[in-house]
Amino acid sequence: MTTATSSSPSAPTASIAVCLKWTAARDDAGADPDDDRFAGVSAADRAALEVALRLGERWGVPVTALAAGPAGAERTLRDAIAAGADRAVRLDMDADADSRDVAFELAQATAPTGGPCADLVLCGDYSLDRGSGSVPAFIAHHRSAAQALGLVSVDTDGPAADGVVRAVRRLDGGRRELLEVPVPGVLSVEGSVASLRRAPLRRALASRTAPIEVIRTPPAHHRGAPAIVTPYRPRARVMAAPAGDDVLARLRRLTDAGAAPARGETVELAPADAARRIVEALRDWGYLADHDR
Amino acid sequence: MADVDVDVVVVGAGPAGACAAIELARAGRSVVVLERGPFPGSKNMYGGVVYPRILDELIPRWWEEAPIQRWVTRRSTMVLTPTQALTVDFRSQAWGAPPYNGATAYRPDFDHWLAGHAEAAGAQLLCSTTVVGLLRDPGGRVVGVRTDRPDGDLRAGLVIACDGVNSFVAKEAGLYGPVDAANYTLGVKETLALPKEVIDERFGVRGREGVDIEILGGTGGVNGGGFVYTNLDTLAVGAVLKLPKLAAQGTRPEEIIAGLKAHPAIAPLVEGAELKEYSAHLIPEAGLAMMPKLAGDGLLVAGDAAAMCLAAGIWLEGVNFAMASGMYAGRAAIEALSRNDVSTEGLAGYERRLSETFVLRDHRKLRRAPHLVLSDRVQHLYPELITSVVERMFRVDNPNPKPGLRRIVESERRRLGIRRRDLARDGLDGLRSFG
Ligand SMILES: Cc1cc2nc3c(=O)[nH]c(=O)nc-3n(C[C@H](O)[C@H](O)[C@H](O)COP(=O)(O)OP(=O)(O)OC[C@H]3O[C@@H](n4cnc5c(N)ncnc54)[C@H](O)[C@@H]3O)c2cc1C
Repeated sequence: MTTATSSSPSAPTASIAVCLKWTAARDDAGADPDDDRFAGVSAADRAALEVALRLGERWGVPVTALAAGPAGAERTLRDAIAAGADRAVRLDMDADADSRDVAFELAQATAPTGGPCADLVLCGDYSLDRGSGSVPAFIAHHRSAAQALGLVSVDTDGPAADGVVRAVRRLDGGRRELLEVPVPGVLSVEGSVASLRRAPLRRALASRTAPIEVIRTPPAHHRGAPAIVTPYRPRARVMAAPAGDDVLARLRRLTDAGAAPARGETVELAPADAARRIVEALRDWGYLADHDR
Repeated sequence: MADVDVDVVVVGAGPAGACAAIELARAGRSVVVLERGPFPGSKNMYGGVVYPRILDELIPRWWEEAPIQRWVTRRSTMVLTPTQALTVDFRSQAWGAPPYNGATAYRPDFDHWLAGHAEAAGAQLLCSTTVVGLLRDPGGRVVGVRTDRPDGDLRAGLVIACDGVNSFVAKEAGLYGPVDAANYTLGVKETLALPKEVIDERFGVRGREGVDIEILGGTGGVNGGGFVYTNLDTLAVGAVLKLPKLAAQGTRPEEIIAGLKAHPAIAPLVEGAELKEYSAHLIPEAGLAMMPKLAGDGLLVAGDAAAMCLAAGIWLEGVNFAMASGMYAGRAAIEALSRNDVSTEGLAGYERRLSETFVLRDHRKLRRAPHLVLSDRVQHLYPELITSVVERMFRVDNPNPKPGLRRIVESERRRLGIRRRDLARDGLDGLRSFG
């Protein structure tokens, strides 16, 4: 997999954005939507904020915290300001807005042409609720930026002039992948990457009244495919009964239990070829029907 | 009062801290409330009944907005022996209508709501912030607090300690004498879920009506008491246990609750309930006997931090004492700040206000009550005396004729080895306290 392509180093980073997903943890019917007592952000989002602040300090560039959500999300943004973010922007959206809408709006808000431009966008790799980690991928797609998702460490000591961020991603089987992510880029980090600093007392007090910019977004309008409202389930396939003399043997065959994995190969290809090869393999194994083409 | 960040720092956003901050902010004073938990009430626990009458002064028609579970319209006092129960049960429909009397409420709701009023009045509330020390000037006057945050010092004209039982601030300021564990009880509680209709049925109430049961006995030989309160769809079942006795006996507090729940008089009330929460907290039980100095130079102490909880048998009230003392501390602070004198003498208005009102008057009147109620005779002998007297009164012993009450009391007293002198003295103490 080569999601992070190393193109030529770009101009020094001008600003950093960190996206925080505010989640109301208690969803009793009739609960006040602005009641944020049991709400908050994931450890991964807090780690993203800390990485953003460290890079911002290291590179001498401002950090903007963004949250897409209702007014209740503003406490999270104030906490980000208390910890050191320079600006806070709330994209006024429903708490349960579709991930693709959220990503589209965040991409707009961080794009050079749109509001508070950001060259580097940081996210947590899961939120407190759904936690599929898809928002950063969609942001990168909309921004045509490099992406590196689910990072287990980010080097926050590299100079800004490099135009890349060095990071480590977890692979299967305990392996690690060292990445050089070019800027503009989108990174998502796991919660263990960094622990968020304690906000200094005076900043914490001042943050309670700090201004928060609010961007009104149009109502749900995500582009492209219709919204996915159910969890993904692979399509059922008709299969011949497995051969075997007794139930246990047939069950073993059916589940591959005890057998060496037959599938899987390691290939080294350019990104476009790799993607094509993966789609081919999925189709061969029966996971993609022809109309998924 | 140059060189300060804020007029007043209030430590703790419980009922005492919130009410102090409401008064100060409404008087136009800048006030910062520092709270250790992530939001007011997040970690706070109590049995479950508040008596908010004092709020009439702060939040008129509070009952229209306070986050109340049920209005207490039934109050029972129960005396238990292992196989007997005597209940005095009182019901008043008047308590189920404005202006109400007592109510059950969850602290994460109630404290959050009350602190919201302080913020609405202009107080600055900062949560997840623990006060870890006091700042003093060379003369020893308190001039602010140190918190656990980076650059965490905050200088203030006055500090009000509302940090609850075992107040770190009051102790650090030297307002307490030596700490004696015998002055504290441990409160433990289970929150048990049941459907609302089941609670209504079992406790004989409707709609928002609720029940408060205080229990003497049933605490597994450890001096203390029990309680059962009704919320909308949960019950609070707990015990208040004398610390030295609990330690000496080596019983786990949750076992004592289990014993209480298994008592034949309690079991049918809690049967089939699902345990939602277990919590524990200290109670400054000894009242007046353990109260610290209430003011120091630049410092006032209110609520549980000043041991103002009234825990005297049939009464378990702390939240109302905390709200009132916080409110009076706020008023005294406003006075002292405007006179520019926050010395101990300048803050004397606080104790004067407490002495003129229920806060200290109830404590003075009931100063013998905690000791009496937790004494071995009241705990271990009198419940049996009372229940066996009543049992013999109601037992039909035909063909024997009914005995006279005086004769029953006398023979039970002798059977239990209670000396007449002790009974008379305890009776007098009881009369002096409760009479
Ligand atoms: C088991 C039990 C049952 C009870 N039942 C009842 C009842 O039914 N009715 C009743 O009226 N009372 C009851 N009480 C008593 C009642 O809970 C207390 O009297 C009341 O909560 C006191 O209020 P307070 O504001 O003084 O302190 P608390 O409610 O204890 O609030 C103190 C606040 O200060 C914060 N704090 C502490 N230290 C610091 C620090 N260093 N820095 C920053 N913040 C800090 C705490 O987080 C807390 O929010 C009961 C108590 C117990 C333990």
